[in-house]
Amino acid sequence: MIFPFDSLSAHHREFGLIVAVIIGFAFGFVLERAGFGRAPKLAAQFYLYDMTVFKVMFGAIVTASLGIVLFSQLGLVDLRTLSNWATSETFLWPMIAGGFLLGIGFIIAGYCPGTSAVAAASGNLDGLFAFIGVIIGSFIYSEAFPLFSKFHEASNLGHVYLYDLLHLPAPAVAAAVALMAILCFRGADKIEEYFSERLKRSGNTEFEENILPERHSRPARQSTFATFGGLALIACLTLLLNVRPDASHPSVLTLAQAELGKRVLKEPWRLRIIDLREREACFAARIPGSECIPLAELSTLALGEDMSGRDLVLVAGIDLHEIPAAAANYPGRVFILEKGFEGWKSFALSAPKHPGPSSSPDEIESYRLRAALYSSLTGAKQAPPPPPPAAGGGSPKKKSGGCSG
Amino acid sequence: MNESHSEKPFWNPYLAGMALGLVLLSSFLIMGRGLGASGAANRIGVAVVDAIAPAHVSANPVMASLKEDGMHPLDDWLVFEVLGVFLGGAVAALTAGRMKLGVLKGPRISSEFRLAFALTGGILMGIAARLARGCTSGQALSGGALLSFGSWVFMFSVFTGGYALARLMKREWL
Repeated sequence: MIFPFDSLSAHHREFGLIVAVIIGFAFGFVLERAGFGRAPKLAAQFYLYDMTVFKVMFGAIVTASLGIVLFSQLGLVDLRTLSNWATSETFLWPMIAGGFLLGIGFIIAGYCPGTSAVAAASGNLDGLFAFIGVIIGSFIYSEAFPLFSKFHEASNLGHVYLYDLLHLPAPAVAAAVALMAILCFRGADKIEEYFSERLKRSGNTEFEENILPERHSRPARQSTFATFGGLALIACLTLLLNVRPDASHPSVLTLAQAELGKRVLKEPWRLRIIDLREREACFAARIPGSECIPLAELSTLALGEDMSGRDLVLVAGIDLHEIPAAAANYPGRVFILEKGFEGWKSFALSAPKHPGPSSSPDEIESYRLRAALYSSLTGAKQAPPPPPPAAGGGSPKKKSGGCSG
Repeated sequence: MNESHSEKPFWNPYLAGMALGLVLLSSFLIMGRGLGASGAANRIGVAVVDAIAPAHVSANPVMASLKEDGMHPLDDWLVFEVLGVFLGGAVAALTAGRMKLGVLKGPRISSEFRLAFALTGGILMGIAARLARGCTSGQALSGGALLSFGSWVFMFSVFTGGYALARLMKREWL
């Protein structure tokens, strides 16, 4: 993952703020040139004789989503990480209610918050009043927050994306949205034509002066549709060709027995261990906390939807050389246990050899771990490790925690 | 309306949409963030109240959270982005011959009423954007492009609300 440039939010924060002004400048410039600084043009969306709002917004969504999905397919950006960072979680009912209220405010004010800023900047006092209204409204919300707080936090679904709900890969969903947009745009052009004709016939001729002309151009329309179609096709092709070299899992991660042992004892809740051996063997003896799912049935788990953030550890009989396809889309890290269950048997299920008094601290540490595992898993008590070597001249001090260092 | 002939026509909406999409895509790629507007308005409000009555801000946990660690409420990415929106909007209007002080409205409503409506609608949107965690820019556009479920629900809801009230507001626009 190359993008985004994390340093712009952390080490080079000032530079990041300059970038913010530049990106905002482009945002405001495009909005103004699209006609979004004029309330009558925006409001026209709701009277159907000018669908610019719909076309520009939907077109922007399609462009950005196809773009980000393609970058993600190339392995340059991690889609889910970026999305979890850049979007808010889904609060279903607050968003339905908030959206409805914002729509009402939109048709009354003639602007949405962003376009009111553009309108104010181009000298339209109504835009300035709408923007001041947004500031006042936000303030009222903060003041009255205790009244809303319960509803504000209601129906939190966490981070949910359309591709999660549809059980489809993100590029397929982005491509489907693009195709839907092309169909909708064709419909929008027809609706616009019908309703502006109707207004003219009813004797209203002023509305056209109020929305001002835009550059109608067949080539622009056709090339936009062709671009969307082409990018959607490429997005789908990347799926077929499996171009993505497992963007989020660049190589097979192996987990050493000692590491697994430590984590099983200390933080089992951060692991999801799946034992891929035959059921009988797995039921007879397995790593604590592991699920018994034979390799052939792995796809039934829908591992791509596990949002728990745990590390996935796959345990085979002996060694597993590659991550099975069914686990490749697991959102978190995927590990393969080194030497598989056989390795576990000799590491944790056989009595460790007691280290002599002359053994190194590392050996003693390893003995402690293995003894703890062995006794907790088999119930057999082990002799305590030898005491630390007597403090002699220049004896290596045992590694201590950060506090004393 | 003679001077309107010197105005440049608006961009073709499809090309404008692609241009807006590219701006949004660069924001995602460079900063890992989407575009926004209402969040900045909220911070401006808190900053104003903070300048007049700092104790009031500190007493309100929602507002106080914007100046945690001694940060100024305006010291935020989104505020700078919206500063850019103002600059970009102004430059675009100037260079297109559209920079003109005035009130935009339908022919059947007075300027005073139009301004009162603009303020009222703005207040409703301010409340709504807080409830929905964003407005049409931050929630619908940016979240929609990342295919967030809540953003799409929000977007449909915005259009539903607008169409529901459009008939009643016809005098303001037509």
